[in-house]
Amino acid sequence: MKKIQGVYKITANQKISGSYYHLKIAAPDIGRGVLPGQFVHVRVNDGLEPFFRRPFSVFRGGKSLEILYDVVGPATKQLAAKRPGETLDVIGPLGHAFTLPDKNIRVVVLIAGGVGIAPFLTLTDKIRLKKLDKILLYGGRTKANIVSLKAFRDNGCRIHVATDDGSAGVKGRVSGLFSKIPLDPSTTLIYACGPRPMLAAIQSFAAQHGMRGELSYEEVMACGLGACLGCAVQTRKGYKTVCHDGPVFPLEEVVF
Amino acid sequence: MDLSVSIAGIKFKNPVTVASGTFGHAEDFYDDKELRRLGALIPKTVTLFPRQGNPPPRIVETPAGMINAIGIENPGVDIFITDKLPLLKAIGIPVIVSVSGANYEEFRILVEKVNAAGVTAVELNLSCPNLGKHSLVAQDPAAVERVVRLAKKHSRIPVCAKLSPNVTDIAQIAAAAEQGGADALSLVNTFQAMVIDVEKRRSKLGNFTGGLSGPAIRPIAVFMVHQVYRRIKIPIIAMGGIMAPDDALQYIIAGATMAAVGTANFIDPGTPLAVLRGVEDYLKRHGMQRISELRGSLQS
Repeated sequence: MKKIQGVYKITANQKISGSYYHLKIAAPDIGRGVLPGQFVHVRVNDGLEPFFRRPFSVFRGGKSLEILYDVVGPATKQLAAKRPGETLDVIGPLGHAFTLPDKNIRVVVLIAGGVGIAPFLTLTDKIRLKKLDKILLYGGRTKANIVSLKAFRDNGCRIHVATDDGSAGVKGRVSGLFSKIPLDPSTTLIYACGPRPMLAAIQSFAAQHGMRGELSYEEVMACGLGACLGCAVQTRKGYKTVCHDGPVFPLEEVVF
Repeated sequence: MDLSVSIAGIKFKNPVTVASGTFGHAEDFYDDKELRRLGALIPKTVTLFPRQGNPPPRIVETPAGMINAIGIENPGVDIFITDKLPLLKAIGIPVIVSVSGANYEEFRILVEKVNAAGVTAVELNLSCPNLGKHSLVAQDPAAVERVVRLAKKHSRIPVCAKLSPNVTDIAQIAAAAEQGGADALSLVNTFQAMVIDVEKRRSKLGNFTGGLSGPAIRPIAVFMVHQVYRRIKIPIIAMGGIMAPDDALQYIIAGATMAAVGTANFIDPGTPLAVLRGVEDYLKRHGMQRISELRGSLQS
């Protein structure tokens, strides 16, 4: 789909848990064209601080464009202060989407760390009606980092949660959950999104067990369009851009 | 209204272009008919051999700007000419190809290849190490003059020298380029800079240092264009933090023939066309018929 740039109205921007916010933008032309795993590039304000746009995975597409974000720095802090009725300049949909499971796949395992849950709701929306065993392994620092379980349950996911402090689910890392579930590599597909150490652990476990899949990667980004080559990531096929070649890459491709 | 400008006898329909390295691959964002309204395109610098670029992180955000250390990642001049150039030429506006050689011989071959490929002009990216007595060609007047003279000898198309601002006296370097026979100058390239992550006590860039661009450098770049314009006679393609029409107008009033939008392309890809519209409006507002009335019209 062609990339669209527009100025759109915010319809909702609410804190949902801890430092997590849920933003809805009335951008149907972008929202309707979004594929699972794609992102939008948002100009937080018209000024020079922050200077760059910020990329956000699309949490849900459709008539409304939804973003789940974690307030981690000055840009997301400014975003969190936006009220419904205010506008945002958005470019999207951008980037390479997740590959949907083919007919040999029986089990889909989604592995999310913290706000890394964001790209998976659109993905499960897309595969909701397929006869697949959908497993969501969801990790976070604490209970407040575990959100939107109902939406995933509604999409037919079996959910296993792990938190660093044990305040929700089991105490430990999400990569630990992954290694305990018996899976048949020939019929399983993995999708992972989260912090780099988590992705590295998933990549190494999947490689040992011959499992295939994809991961969604993050890097500081300027243009988001593949122009500046600033968001390069080292892959087994040389440097690639996260914005244009990614953010979704084959699980084995990124070099950690 | 006549917005057209000319460099070495070649006419460009208006003074607005895009700076090298800020536009490549974004072509698919635009409609060709929008792009066609620009005065020229300057794609990302190409080298003789493919370059994989610098290790990440390659960019860092700064107050009103950014530092980049991309490392001239590019597929090499041959692949550029066969795979990318036809698409750029098909847009239908002049293409000025930026090249960077690791030595004089590479510059010669690059200039010859680009000439054979049939483009409008060649821009020499002189911010590369190894040729001069100092760390960059662009910091050594003798090396600048020599590389420009060599390029001119092997080029039928106009040769533009892109200068680095990381010098004591940019007008002296500009004069050396003019002496070497340059048809035009591009100024300025980025300012050497770094940001330190205080927690890790490390540079925030994989390459340790990089080049600062964006509105943060604009007042310095405007002053440099002003200094150079007073010293030399050849046209200037100016760049440095152009985000809006007024920014481009400052450069033109300071003496620039063309103004290139660079870093702003990463923030708002609509900037070049917005700048063009704004320049046009300005001329109307001031009752000017030609852009040449504005060029170098700085009052003292």
